[in-house]
Amino acid sequence: MNAMCDISGAADLLATACDALTQELLPLLPKERRYVGLMIGNALGIASRELQTGAAADAGEAQRCAMLLARSGIPLSPSIEAGPAALAQLRRALCDAIRAGRFDESGAQAALMEHLTRTASDWVSISNPKALNSTGEGE
Amino acid sequence: MSAASPATAAVRTPMAAIAHWLQRETGAREVRITRLERLPGGAIQENWTLDVTIVGGEWAGVHEWVLRTDAPSFVVASLTRSQEFAVLRVAHANGVIVPQPLFVCGDDTVTGRQFFVMKRIPGIAAGHRLTRDPGLIPDGEALAETLGANLARLHAIAPPQPALDRVLPPPKSNHALATVADYRAYVDTRNDAHPALEWALRWCEIHAPRPAAATLIHRDYRTGNYMVDAGRLTGVLDWEFAGWGDPSEDLGWFTARCWRFARPDLEAGGIARSEAFLDGYEGASGRQVTRRDLEYWQVMAQIRWAIIALQQAQRHLAGGERSLELALTGRIVHELEYEVLAIIAEARQ
Repeated sequence: MNAMCDISGAADLLATACDALTQELLPLLPKERRYVGLMIGNALGIASRELQTGAAADAGEAQRCAMLLARSGIPLSPSIEAGPAALAQLRRALCDAIRAGRFDESGAQAALMEHLTRTASDWVSISNPKALNSTGEGE
Repeated sequence: MSAASPATAAVRTPMAAIAHWLQRETGAREVRITRLERLPGGAIQENWTLDVTIVGGEWAGVHEWVLRTDAPSFVVASLTRSQEFAVLRVAHANGVIVPQPLFVCGDDTVTGRQFFVMKRIPGIAAGHRLTRDPGLIPDGEALAETLGANLARLHAIAPPQPALDRVLPPPKSNHALATVADYRAYVDTRNDAHPALEWALRWCEIHAPRPAAATLIHRDYRTGNYMVDAGRLTGVLDWEFAGWGDPSEDLGWFTARCWRFARPDLEAGGIARSEAFLDGYEGASGRQVTRRDLEYWQVMAQIRWAIIALQQAQRHLAGGERSLELALTGRIVHELEYEVLAIIAEARQ
């Protein structure tokens, strides 16, 4: 994210803070405060990973979602613009199509499953990468 | 926002009121409360250790009880304490292993909130401990079998039950489809869209099983909600979500991946293989549980947990309850979506 700069960016700061917390502070916390320490470490880790790959995950999801809708012959409203609002609208359009049964047919279902699984796994690798390892799948 | 719990003051000051109320309930000459302490856990309901010494009347003696009351902050669609007490009493009368329900106070002028009193049972409920420490459950298969048989006794309770007539809403003609409609109604109140959940709901709509005869179901029967002492089941807790419905919902919830804690490889609540649990259940109920049924209700379980996680996130973001724990619970949604897609993919093959 910060390739042009030789000082720590946001993601690196959070990751480093997370390490300092878990290695240096956590062992010193009294037992009844340990859980809070673990939660803070967890939150810092998620935030750091989201800064690194969240935007790419969103961009990939938006692109796949638009293709999926187009291939299924679902017209997109011309009001969909670029940016984060576009993804929200694409997701909404996909939800409407799913509920209307537009992905019930086996081939469409397979394409939908592939898109949803990819999106979910991108976000699990941000929110809880360990969960990907435990099911034997990863990037 | 103060860190101190307002509940402490709210229930501690009416200690005398509780003692007085218990004196009338037990027909005692005198009731002395020797201990009243909040037990950990319980975001919606609070459980308090209640030790009493009773002088006179049929309850004369020293007792170790638990007082269960609403937490002050947050109410989801679940039973009131007096409704929960009525369900617990029916379950207990039908041989389900539960803490024995004793007295109920539906009058919220006594302490400001409804509450009931039940016998205290020994043991540990914490799911991460039970699934991690083999010393706590030396024989997981035997415990799972007991839990299955115990659930079968609950599912033997069918409507109509006069004691539950005005307590539970009547059963739906198609529990699965009614559940899909409920979850969609919630999803539709949100500003954000969740395609994976939407697809899982559509999948549940297309694959809805034929309606089963409704029975009493617990709707939160899982590791973390039962007490284990010396490896044995001492009681099933938390009856606030009970209702009439398809009994397979409880089987899917119990075996769902999200309730296996440290042992995702052990399908029966992280304590045993699913066969042990289902053997106990099928033996005691005479019902046959198909893999398809189990998978269907596991998908529904993941959806339900995802919706609860979204609600927790909303409490933090918009409900005036800023909390790191609630915020992080919201992030579980990704994992639940990923897992629900994996179950659907397997079921498609």
